[in-house]
Amino acid sequence: MTIEAVKTLDPVTVEIIRNALTSAADDMNATLIRSAYSPILYEGGDCVVALLDTEHRVLGQSAGLPLFLGNLETCSIAVEELYGREVWKEGDVWILNDSYLGGTHLNDVTIFAPIFDAGAVVGFAATRAHWMDMGSKDVGGSMDATDIFQEGFRMGPVKLIEAGVETSVVDLIRTNVRFPYQTIGDMHAMIAALRMGTTRMKELVGRYGMDQLDAARDEIFRQTEEIERETVRAIPDGVYEAEGVLDNDGINLESPIPIKLRITVDGDTVDFDVTESADQTMGPVNCGAAQAVSALRVGYKLLISPDSNSNGGSFRPMTTQVRSGSVLGAVAPAPCQWYFSHLGLLIDLVSKAMAPAMPERVASASHGDSMIITAAGFDPRFGRNFVSMEATLGGWGAWQGTDGESAMINNVNGSLKDLPIEMMETRYPLRINEYSIRPNSGGPGQWRGGNGVVREYEFLADCVVGLWFERSKTPAWGLFGGSDAQGPEVVINPGRSDEVRTLKANARKIKAGDIVRLAVGGGGGFGDVSERSREDIAYDIVNGFITEDFARTHYGY
Amino acid sequence: MPNYRVSMDIGGTFTDIVAYDQQSGTYEATKASTTPGNLSAGVIAGLESIVTDLSDIEFLVHGTTQGLNAFLERRGVPVLLLATAGVEDTYHIARGPRLELYNAQYRKPEPLVERKDVIGVGGRLDGQCNEIRPLDEVAVRQAARRAVDEGYGAVAVAFLFSYKNPTHELRAREILLEELGEDFTVSLSHEAAKEWREYERTSSAVVEAYTGPVVRNYLLDLEEKLADRGVEAPLHIMQSSGGVLTAESARKRPLQTLLSGPVGGAMGDVELAGVSGNRNLIGVDMGGTSFDVSLVVDGKPDVSTEAHLEGLPMLMSVVNIHTVGAGGGSVAWLEAGGLRVGPRSAGATPGPACYGRGGTEPTVTDANLVLGRVDPDWFAGGQVALDREAAITALKTVGDQLGLDPIAMAEGICDVANSQMAQAIRTITISRGIEPRDFALVAFGGAGPMHAVFLAKELGIPETVVPRFPGAFSAWGMLQTNIRRDFSEPYFYLDEDIDPADMARVLRSMEVEGLRSLVSEGVPEESRRTTASVDVRYQSQEFSLNVPLISADEPESPDFVANLAVRFSAMYHERYGHSNLGAPIEIVALRTQAVGDLGRLEAPLFAPAVSSEFKHEVRRVVFDHVEHDTTVVRRDDLAAGHKFEGPAIIVEQTATTVVPPGFDVTVDEFGSLVIRTQDVEGN
Repeated sequence: MTIEAVKTLDPVTVEIIRNALTSAADDMNATLIRSAYSPILYEGGDCVVALLDTEHRVLGQSAGLPLFLGNLETCSIAVEELYGREVWKEGDVWILNDSYLGGTHLNDVTIFAPIFDAGAVVGFAATRAHWMDMGSKDVGGSMDATDIFQEGFRMGPVKLIEAGVETSVVDLIRTNVRFPYQTIGDMHAMIAALRMGTTRMKELVGRYGMDQLDAARDEIFRQTEEIERETVRAIPDGVYEAEGVLDNDGINLESPIPIKLRITVDGDTVDFDVTESADQTMGPVNCGAAQAVSALRVGYKLLISPDSNSNGGSFRPMTTQVRSGSVLGAVAPAPCQWYFSHLGLLIDLVSKAMAPAMPERVASASHGDSMIITAAGFDPRFGRNFVSMEATLGGWGAWQGTDGESAMINNVNGSLKDLPIEMMETRYPLRINEYSIRPNSGGPGQWRGGNGVVREYEFLADCVVGLWFERSKTPAWGLFGGSDAQGPEVVINPGRSDEVRTLKANARKIKAGDIVRLAVGGGGGFGDVSERSREDIAYDIVNGFITEDFARTHYGY
Repeated sequence: MPNYRVSMDIGGTFTDIVAYDQQSGTYEATKASTTPGNLSAGVIAGLESIVTDLSDIEFLVHGTTQGLNAFLERRGVPVLLLATAGVEDTYHIARGPRLELYNAQYRKPEPLVERKDVIGVGGRLDGQCNEIRPLDEVAVRQAARRAVDEGYGAVAVAFLFSYKNPTHELRAREILLEELGEDFTVSLSHEAAKEWREYERTSSAVVEAYTGPVVRNYLLDLEEKLADRGVEAPLHIMQSSGGVLTAESARKRPLQTLLSGPVGGAMGDVELAGVSGNRNLIGVDMGGTSFDVSLVVDGKPDVSTEAHLEGLPMLMSVVNIHTVGAGGGSVAWLEAGGLRVGPRSAGATPGPACYGRGGTEPTVTDANLVLGRVDPDWFAGGQVALDREAAITALKTVGDQLGLDPIAMAEGICDVANSQMAQAIRTITISRGIEPRDFALVAFGGAGPMHAVFLAKELGIPETVVPRFPGAFSAWGMLQTNIRRDFSEPYFYLDEDIDPADMARVLRSMEVEGLRSLVSEGVPEESRRTTASVDVRYQSQEFSLNVPLISADEPESPDFVANLAVRFSAMYHERYGHSNLGAPIEIVALRTQAVGDLGRLEAPLFAPAVSSEFKHEVRRVVFDHVEHDTTVVRRDDLAAGHKFEGPAIIVEQTATTVVPPGFDVTVDEFGSLVIRTQDVEGN
């Protein structure tokens, strides 16, 4: 094929390059998901990929897990800050999972590589994915760690591959994690994704040349920035505030953790300030500042630019204030395993704060956390150990014109699905007696909040169970007169003499025949209950979303 | 003398009919208007326009969209769903994923059954085939009475673990039919989809119950009308799997017909792969609002065991058709001073500006028209008169703001649309572990050949093939299929736990079942065959690969598990670029495919050219910002062996093929246009 002459930069070329960069990220993501070994990646999509330019700005990014949005670039920046720009060598691949640099918990591992063309760095490929286990004191992550050393092993940026050859870091990983086989499989899937990104980037450089690519990039960033500034400009100037609490940090069960958000809109800029939030805690509900920024970006994106792909022009109207030493700006050695509980709350708070200014874009709060149950023990049927971990579904908030959706995954869990009962009962020694939509759990309103679920387990073998259920003290709130939803409830052996109610538990002993009954909260209502139509109330009763008693009490029906 | 083999493919506007005359060895294709109110009337009229005496038909295959339309327009029958008490909300919980990540106002796919239409029925089985609680027969009987009293049109039954132990579902059906009569539609989940995962299996049964009566009534009506006209050949129905079934079987398992529409094109690809020797093909079919991509890998269609329709899952064999939201109606617009094309479409109404139906925004079709890549006289079979001036006006609305004249604007729209389509193809192939450069492109549908060569260029694909009758290619593909029945058996074991003797026993019983099904399809003994395969994955992975076995007996051969691991790892490596031989593998399911060979149709040779000259004209057409002398030729004026250089435009009744500069066109012995990149040396 003949080589095309360099054309001047026209709008058509810019658009073709813009699409090509997004598509390159999609190809990386497809490669990662198709070859990953862990369900949390291939089924839950708990991963993200990006192509970065030479200045670590996002050229193209897959729409992966929202919470990973927009902080992949901190990793290659950290390397440059430590070792200088000359550290990049062709054929090297780096790895990092430091919570205070990357911002997430140790299980979120970032692998990244410089992309070279003709001997020069032309950009970076990066991917972050959740690894099953990082050698924490309890399998898969602890619920009661009091410092990060209990949560597994931590890597600052180190070379995983040097000049194309795997380094001894691979062996370090293999010997420190509980599931080396899956973990190394996932690691290879991530490296394959980087290779895909590298190939695509080099094709683009070969086709357009760096000058044209750079010019296109500037124009693409400009367009994105302009779209976002226009939306921000339409929001009335002012200060918007919201706050809520986490129930506790998993250690000091009686101390709620306040999260406070103050948003200042001024012209086409918007500042997010979370400095008034709680100090970092003894229990594992902390995160690095980079991750707090990520959560704020998710909240921003949901309202400002939900439909577009993020790139280096995104978030330019946005500034953030995070206090070092707070739960949102943790410093060593704060434990970070359950970093997403307060981030889920923070994302919902953005919506709550901005509700008066953009009522048509917001939704009332959702059930608000991943509602995790883990079980581990010995399965006498196969003579093997087993470990399971599940997120439980809850209700989402209503919005102008529509009831909230029932039985949905938490907002930070991407497209994760629940695990089928047939799969659970085949793989693990347990039975699921009930799995149902929990009536009345959504908040009443002109538009009703979605309902949560009830999921009841009967264990058929002795095992240990972990529970992380949150948001009972700030249950999903309603907006514009809509009511709050019911919060979560967990009962062990309901109705028996040894009945226990608890929302959090670490490695609690359970005997064969014991019951664990999970009830997750609903989403908040929207608008005044008196405005709800009689037909909608009747429909809810017929379909069992609310009971007749509840209709009478809350809607005067 | 019955000597015609005929296929009919119903589309929204037209029904395509292709007839193969076995005596003369020739094909004929025609289009008839689809008659939505009374589909069989249109089908019969179309048939009679091409085969004078319908009793001359020896073999008849039909792709029906009855079930699909009933689903999409939500006019199936009201369904009552019986599910395991305690977990009967499975269908509405729907596993709870959010498919749009940045949508706080997300809605789940709209279920076909309301929650009030679900009845929890007592009775429980476990995963080891044990009965924990007996079926509550009284509740089933009460449900049957409710179905009558409240006017439900079908009952779906989906109990936990029925894929391993169907006794409760079977007993429930007995009771239901006792109360409701033998003709009432009862869909059992283990028959709709014999696989684990209760939500997906329940959804499959519900879709079948919801659409089944509609499909059944249509097929009965059509069969009756055909019989009235002396057709003795049994009617065959295209399935989503790429095979065909007798209408009698399709009435029992209507789910299998649901996604059969676009499958014919993919089966056409498979046949082309066999004829042309190109074992790897990417099929592109472009219509007004969508762009469909199908793959043939090593001569076989790309088949999945799960499909989704408007977000609702169905577990069944289905030829993968990837739909990308780009088509002739994709709208070009401005955002922050940047050009965008799609994903919004002008659809059929108002349609592209050039349709003159009130559309004012520029679309891909407008761009093609202004560039001279559409023949205005023959567009959509001459049914739509195109207004070039309206297209130019529309192009100016966007072009003026970008400083592009209408021609540059038009070419820009096509370039952006083509690059988007090419990237979509690339991502699809990457996610299947395939390198597009190793493939040839096949273009069909009305607009596929207009864009295909540009896509091939973008993807680095050396060869594009435009078959004869590209507009009726899907119907043609249906004629090239076999009878096919798929059987699966969940079979979940870690490698160290595999019992080869048991596995061979199960496979042999599946083989017997498969052969028996071919008897009921009327397949003569010498044409029946079965193949065995097994779904394998590395331990704790989700996606499995379907690994073919030599025979149902293979598990009993020495070192079977080790051999299976080697074969699996080789396939895995080919798909993903890495593998892990020695790592534990697990078996997920056993599969048997029963195929009734319907005999191959000789690909008819195209009339050879008597001279290298052919009738054509030369027009000025813009490619890459420059007007070129372009060969414009009617396809009917070409014969096998004709060769010419691009730029060229080949027009025919149902499609237009556009060949940019830098490509050569050859008409092959079967009449296909084969378009190749010119040799670099030749330039």
